[in-house]
Amino acid sequence: MTLTWLGRVALYGAFLATLGGIVHQVIALRTNRPSRSLRWAVASLVGIVGAVAVMQFALITHNFSLAYVSENNATFTPLLYSITGMWSALEGSLLLWSLLLCAIIVVVLRYYRRRSEDQVVSWASVVLFGVSAFFLGLMCGPADPFIHNGARVLQGAGPNALLQDNPLVAIHPPLLYMGFVGFTVPFAFAIAMLITGRVHDRWPLEQRRWTVLAWGVLSVGIVLGAWWSYQVLGWGGFWGWDPVENAALLPWLTATAYIHSVIVQDRRGLFRVWNLSLAIATFALTILGTFFTRSGVLQSVHAFSSSTLGPLLIGFFFVTVALGVGLLAWRGDRLRSPVGVDHPLSKEGLFIANNVLFVGFAVVVLLGTVFPLLYEAVNGGQVTVGTPYFATVAVPMSIVLLVLMSLAPLVGWRTLDTSVLWSRIRVSAWAALVVVAALMLAGVRRPMVLLAYFLASAAAGSALRTLRGAFVAVRRRGQRWFEALRGPSAGGMVVHLGVVVMALAIVTSTSYTTRNEVTLATGQSTVVAGQFVTFHGFRTVKDPLETATQLRVDVNNHALLPAITTYDGRSEQPVGTPAIDSNLARDVYVTFDAVGGTGAASGAQVEGSLPAGSVVLGVTVEPMLAWLWIGGLLLGLGSALSFVRRRHGEELEA
Amino acid sequence: MKRTVSIVSVAILALVIAFSAFLATRHPVSDATVAPSPLLGKLAPALKGHELGGGTFSLKSERGHVVVVNFWASWCPPCIQEAPELSTYAWHARTKGVVVVGVVFNDAVSSATAFAAHYGSLYPSIIDPGGTIANSYGVTSPPTTFVIDRHGRVAATLLGATTAKQLAAVVARVSS
Repeated sequence: MTLTWLGRVALYGAFLATLGGIVHQVIALRTNRPSRSLRWAVASLVGIVGAVAVMQFALITHNFSLAYVSENNATFTPLLYSITGMWSALEGSLLLWSLLLCAIIVVVLRYYRRRSEDQVVSWASVVLFGVSAFFLGLMCGPADPFIHNGARVLQGAGPNALLQDNPLVAIHPPLLYMGFVGFTVPFAFAIAMLITGRVHDRWPLEQRRWTVLAWGVLSVGIVLGAWWSYQVLGWGGFWGWDPVENAALLPWLTATAYIHSVIVQDRRGLFRVWNLSLAIATFALTILGTFFTRSGVLQSVHAFSSSTLGPLLIGFFFVTVALGVGLLAWRGDRLRSPVGVDHPLSKEGLFIANNVLFVGFAVVVLLGTVFPLLYEAVNGGQVTVGTPYFATVAVPMSIVLLVLMSLAPLVGWRTLDTSVLWSRIRVSAWAALVVVAALMLAGVRRPMVLLAYFLASAAAGSALRTLRGAFVAVRRRGQRWFEALRGPSAGGMVVHLGVVVMALAIVTSTSYTTRNEVTLATGQSTVVAGQFVTFHGFRTVKDPLETATQLRVDVNNHALLPAITTYDGRSEQPVGTPAIDSNLARDVYVTFDAVGGTGAASGAQVEGSLPAGSVVLGVTVEPMLAWLWIGGLLLGLGSALSFVRRRHGEELEA
Repeated sequence: MKRTVSIVSVAILALVIAFSAFLATRHPVSDATVAPSPLLGKLAPALKGHELGGGTFSLKSERGHVVVVNFWASWCPPCIQEAPELSTYAWHARTKGVVVVGVVFNDAVSSATAFAAHYGSLYPSIIDPGGTIANSYGVTSPPTTFVIDRHGRVAATLLGATTAKQLAAVVARVSS
């Protein structure tokens, strides 16, 4: 009982501090006094840190007096998966979410502490506290993580098998949550700008910084999730258009649109309504994504917990959108742009195309995600919307995207000067043609692949040219070279390079994947898809946590251990673990598909027609797949550069 | 300008209301996972014991019936979710040669009795002191449901909360 009460006291403390923050801030607003809301934010952070500490203590010491621990931990769960057990199910995930939110509120309020009299900051902190109160309130009510467990539990259930298979569980979910939580900040400031009517300030650009931070973290989180699912068999490669993957993609798409279009507002004063709408939509989509993950209404590999929170989350989603739309309608007249777009192929014109593309794709993804529900409501039947639907839209969209990435960094604001554009794009256009010619000489004939390489080379050329320009300018000013990386567009261009690398990796690996199945008896070798594969025999690994049947396989003299693993505790469901031999040129992905003979206790599919001691190996060769993760790294690096970049004031002083 | 903004806002708002209301009224996809089990196709382990409200149950005497065996505990949230579904199914299937029986998993008899009374269980549940039945069925966490065919062989294993609809489908498949 002690832990239950300790946890609840800390949690209620955090909740009350958040409510106190709201009340204090509103009073400060009415009486026009400077606010001290940072104190309340720190108090609620202290509370939630206490609650998290109690939960972690219970998980690490396997204290089953908390029901949550008995359901998501077992006596033999190792330390790492005990810690990550906190986000293996709904209630604990909310703890993590609230922890990150309370922390970011403290950071934001501290960052703006000198401007705490500013009405925009005040209203934004009211909104931040409000969002925080919602999530803390969920844990004080329907999703209590600290429910007492009276029954004597000897062993505990242990986390879901898929959640104790890979150490990425320690990184991927927290990064996604951090990204999601980060979008609360631009949302809060958008609402504050609308309430105060101060929509002409420099606040949107200020908010871009926070959005870029959240965006970068979310991007890295999504790429790591892809890497994880790639390493775990049965999740459909690195991306499966699963509803919950889509849930993370939706806010990412609108946030991508936002960080582009805010630049236009900064330079040209356009798109005010649009930018505020995007900030609000991005936040609303994170709530909708949480709803998809947690309500269990959609069938998904990620819907690890279905709960009764669905109506509350969707209600909160509605309140968010209604508040945003209502305020936009109320302030509509103030938001009118003084000027319009002068030329469709000017920079702002291309930014509009970018926004149409990203928001359009978000709508397509949203429709595809909820379509099974609509279909079931109308026809009563079940239907799945899979890769073909999304790919039909994603492929042409990616092509247009690459075209935009080739052009937009090079064209000027307001007008299009074709001769200037040509002089800037000439080198990369020729280089792109050389790349295509080289590929054709090497025997590549698929038009889509050639087109992708042409456009990607041109896009990379534009990004590199812009980066080179930054280095040249820095040298001319006599500064040191790394100052160029803090320049206004360096981070963005590194991100563009990352996207180009990822696009090439996706196109190449999906176009030239070869899948083979080979049957090998112990001690046999074969050559499959150009890879020299030897099967040396079985190895059983048994520890308190798991029983694994590993296969000792050599691929080109690299030892690999594809396995079938059964985790004790939660279920007898075996999990296939592929082994991957990866280098920059190709990945060889080896899976344990079936075993001959009786298959005694290996958990693998048994192929009775084969002799005992032989196995069926799946050997998949995917060229250039490793570049997908390298591109993801560049995305993270670029966003980090963009976050620490010089602000405009500093640039003038320099 | 003002007018356009208002019209667009009202339109978006209406759309979002419809969308939210639609999503809020969806029921969770709560079907259990049909899982492979070493018991599949084998004769079901012995299942015999005292029922919660008194009386005894024995699987052997149910030969000729399809038997749905559900391991549950009062402390398990998905069991709460599936309890009414199981009762619904037990009631509808009672005339079709289907017997539903619960097995209390790792729980105090008093809490289990209270649970069964609270959710108005329409099927018997037997107690499993020492967890011997759970052990022989390889159950490590509730809810786990087994469907045993007319010949006493295990025909399906369901992990997680199941629904009346899913049970009807699984039993129909097993009986054919």
